Amino acid sequence: MNSVLNRASRNFLWRHPWQLALAIVGIALGVAVVISIDLAMESSLNAFNQAGKAFSGVATHRIIAGDGGLDEKLYRRLRVDEGIQKLSPVVNAYVFMSKQTDAGFNLIGIDPFVEKSFQSIWQIRKNKNTSVELLTRLITEPNTALISEQTASRLGLNIEDDLTIDTDHGERRLKIIGLLSPNNAVSEQVLSRLIITDIATAQEVLEMFGRLSSIEVLIDKNQPDAAPAPAYTPSLEISAPAPGRSAAYTPSLEIIRKALPGNALLVEAESQSQAMREMTRAFSINLKALGLLSLLVGMFLIYNTMTFLVMQRRRLIGSLRSIGVTRRQIFKLIIGEALLLAAIGTLIGIVLGIALGQGLLYLISGTINAIYFRIDAASLMITPLQIGKGALLGITATLLAVLPPAFEATRISPVTVLVRSQLESGIRRLIKAANLISVVFILGGMALALLSGKSIVLGLASIFVLLFGFAMMTPALTLMFMKLIERVFGRLSGILVRLPVRMVSAEISRTGVAIAALMIAVSATIGMDLMIGSFRQTVADWVQTSLRADLYVSLPGEKMPDARAEQDQRLKAKLAELQDVKMLSSVLHTNTAIARDGVYAEAGAAAENNFTKVSVFELNEKSRPGFIFKHKTDNELWDRFEQQQTVIVTEPYAYHQGVKIGDKIRLQTDQGSEPFEVLGIYADYSGDQGHLAMSRRNYQHYWPDLGYSGIGVYAKDGVDLQQLENRINKLLTGQQSVKSDQAIYKASMEMFEQTFTITETLRWLSAAIAFVGVFSALMALQFERTRQLGILRAIGITSGQLTVLITGETALMGLVAGLIAVPVGYIVAYMLIFVIYQRSFGWTMAFHFNSGVIYQGLALALIAATLAGILPALKMAQTKPAEALRSE
Amino acid sequence: MSTKAAITIQQLSKSYQESVLRHEIFKDLNLQVSIGEFIVLLGRSGSGKSTFLNLVSGIDQPDSGEIIINGIQLTGLSEHDRTLFRRHHIGFVFQAYNLISTLTVGENLLLPLELIKRTSRQERDTVAKLLDQLNLADRFDTYPDRLSGGEQQRVAIARALIHDPDVILADEPTGNLDLDTGQQVLALFDSLVKKAGKTLIMVTHSPEVLGKADRIFSIRNKSLAIARNGVLPGTGAAVEG
Repeated sequence: MNSVLNRASRNFLWRHPWQLALAIVGIALGVAVVISIDLAMESSLNAFNQAGKAFSGVATHRIIAGDGGLDEKLYRRLRVDEGIQKLSPVVNAYVFMSKQTDAGFNLIGIDPFVEKSFQSIWQIRKNKNTSVELLTRLITEPNTALISEQTASRLGLNIEDDLTIDTDHGERRLKIIGLLSPNNAVSEQVLSRLIITDIATAQEVLEMFGRLSSIEVLIDKNQPDAAPAPAYTPSLEISAPAPGRSAAYTPSLEIIRKALPGNALLVEAESQSQAMREMTRAFSINLKALGLLSLLVGMFLIYNTMTFLVMQRRRLIGSLRSIGVTRRQIFKLIIGEALLLAAIGTLIGIVLGIALGQGLLYLISGTINAIYFRIDAASLMITPLQIGKGALLGITATLLAVLPPAFEATRISPVTVLVRSQLESGIRRLIKAANLISVVFILGGMALALLSGKSIVLGLASIFVLLFGFAMMTPALTLMFMKLIERVFGRLSGILVRLPVRMVSAEISRTGVAIAALMIAVSATIGMDLMIGSFRQTVADWVQTSLRADLYVSLPGEKMPDARAEQDQRLKAKLAELQDVKMLSSVLHTNTAIARDGVYAEAGAAAENNFTKVSVFELNEKSRPGFIFKHKTDNELWDRFEQQQTVIVTEPYAYHQGVKIGDKIRLQTDQGSEPFEVLGIYADYSGDQGHLAMSRRNYQHYWPDLGYSGIGVYAKDGVDLQQLENRINKLLTGQQSVKSDQAIYKASMEMFEQTFTITETLRWLSAAIAFVGVFSALMALQFERTRQLGILRAIGITSGQLTVLITGETALMGLVAGLIAVPVGYIVAYMLIFVIYQRSFGWTMAFHFNSGVIYQGLALALIAATLAGILPALKMAQTKPAEALRSE
Repeated sequence: MSTKAAITIQQLSKSYQESVLRHEIFKDLNLQVSIGEFIVLLGRSGSGKSTFLNLVSGIDQPDSGEIIINGIQLTGLSEHDRTLFRRHHIGFVFQAYNLISTLTVGENLLLPLELIKRTSRQERDTVAKLLDQLNLADRFDTYPDRLSGGEQQRVAIARALIHDPDVILADEPTGNLDLDTGQQVLALFDSLVKKAGKTLIMVTHSPEVLGKADRIFSIRNKSLAIARNGVLPGTGAAVEG
């Protein structure tokens, strides 16, 4: 029986290839978007981890420092004086190929003969090219380097060729003395972005004389516990030992901790990648939510197709029921079909997702580079877990979407087979019920948004619940709109004009779903457009307010004490001496260790990061108004900022760390932990983790001079700024540059647009799925009403008129979707701005109304629906009336 | 009944492709129908009765041969022109009523008028009057699915007649109706069609109709065979065979 049943099902499916293909496309696109985001995001983060592994290998801990790095004497002291053998010093920085558009490279200086047990990626390559002699050459010959075979081939370089790189201090030349052969895909990817030198060469090339970037530490967890653990030194402990780790770590770790200077920390090797993951969590969640939006829209498509397939077979199902096929068998039949479609769609989705992921990888890693930290994600890393997750999502979404039509199929009576109009009147009763449920969803979504605290996931869930609520309300609203349109225009126009309106209402079970899917996609588009527009305006206002100087000198690169800081000081002095310069301001962007004892004692929050970003300002009366405080300020603020042990914090910092005005933040200084009172909270959109700001006077009291990151130049009145810029340019070296405030504004806004490229891309993908949904619904609809359209042709409606009728109907559907999407889009924008973005990034922004977005949204819905209707309309118009009249 | 030909069919052939086989429906079929003549078409299920009506109305196209209606060669017209021709000259009554479910009764009747640009207020009165004649005066704003089978068929007939076509084609108009309703429908045809001098070709098996037809044809061997020529005794018309 089952095999005959399956054959009946299969035969029917094969006779509707369009619907089958579109359902599969719906599933495939939804799965593809979800998988591609997951793959691209994970690959980006893995790229960061793998790059770290290139020199950390199996290191258990790492000694890291803020700007200025570590004094190399620390390495000698730990190894020689303290007898800790498993240490690996590292100097590293990003460099670029001269005159190449190729992405950056991580230049790593290592000790080639360091403890082998680190098994870093560069060590576990094939040995043929890296003999002892080669490593000896690396140490003994200055400016020598190793690169991977693939990189050499890509750049057209051979052994003994020179490799010219751009560092922060200008062009440097390295000689390639050997090529590294990767032994697997992971090492190939990591090595493709590495230049390996010895420590001395790296220090020379990067001008980090006597400094190290980090020291990798390998502590044997079975090491005997030779000494009792000393008293707790909270300021250096980053996190508790991982479960299962032996307490035998303690003696060696404590020795190291005791030896560390104030700006250095000993951290677990894994904690950094966890911190990076945590840092990008909000970004990741938001992207994944966009992927799920695509899947949600895809689910409407699946629901629509399966409903069509059930409705088309109501006579067949009725016949089967009359000869003894049970409800359960019918249910299994429909679910079986759905599973088959899900399997095919998911499989195609996975393949598409991998292809799409490669494209998104570039966009996602670009955004992470712009906002968070430096990564080089060259290719996707595909894991069975991610593929499994995507497959599970695709199949679950399909099954969820198919449950209502499957239950509907079991309810088909063996005696009476309902005609379409009876089915529609049944649907209208359902619509009334759905209307009530939708109100519950909408109120529930609002309540969820209000009551979910700081949770990003629940915030996004509230948007989904709201969208779903409005989608359920869409059929009822559509009927209302159609009545209104008819009431307003019906009497004035003829039947041919009224007919499309009636067609939308009459088949609301089909048109309603398509309109709902389109409405979701368009409202998401309107919401994101408004949010991005509001954000753009807020950022533009902020950048313009912040840019107080006429020209800005940028001094990039690793900040180092001593000689490098002195160079910066000399440059500043020269700038001050220029006759057209009225005054200067300066900033140093650096990192400072947060003391663990009583961080935010008053705020009661614990520090999650081991370092915090600090901007050290030297301000003047013109630059101070550049700060937009989120509260009322008085004249004393700046006096206290300069004179007392105080800081001001950015809005994201205050949000994430729960810091309030008056709280004290304890920072680790060379003299121990020191409290800094929070004086104010100010707007800053340069990053979502936030930072502290303190006066240079304050900073220099506790930390060594690290020079400057930027110098603001205030010209005297009436000075030709271009000439001044040219004069300043002559004083600059290497990567230093001078830009006008307008150039910085332009660059900032370009960066802003770049960070939203990924959002734009994903938004268009969900709109594309909605388009397929509408197209599929219309194809189904036209198929179902073939006979009806045949009658119209028989009584004298031409094929051209029929095309206009059907296109008019789809345009109406688009119009309704657009009209509902506008207010829903505003609600989505409001939620994104005041719930999601604040929770994700700690930014508050003003809601900027933009009427253009409304017109764009309406146009998008109208054009998408009309375009989707053209092919079904043409197809129906070309169907011969005689054939159409013969159809059931 | 005029002796002038309303419909001339010459050497008409029609076949359908069914998978690999070609199924021939008509071969070299000839027929001449006079203005105001009432023709009944009989035939077994699947013999091609509906196809014949589709060909005469221009809904379908023959493989070869000619169909000339009121001097216009239908087979020489494009699909678009055939539609325009149908719009003006043909009234079609389907077996399954085939009313437009999304339009009210009144709108179903107004649509053919609108298609020939008769959109004045007067046309609405014409429709109302016709509906009144059909005892459907109170059904103007009712949707078809709210009507009984007989009511729907009466509306379908009214729709076929409302634009005053020259030729009316009816495909088993009483096939789905009970005896009483069937008789009502026939009476309607009698009063609206015959008295107005319209040409009517009807596919039916109803003995009541056979008695009223001028000529009765049966589809046999891919052609039309005359089953009876003339009207029943007592009606005044000659019986030829």
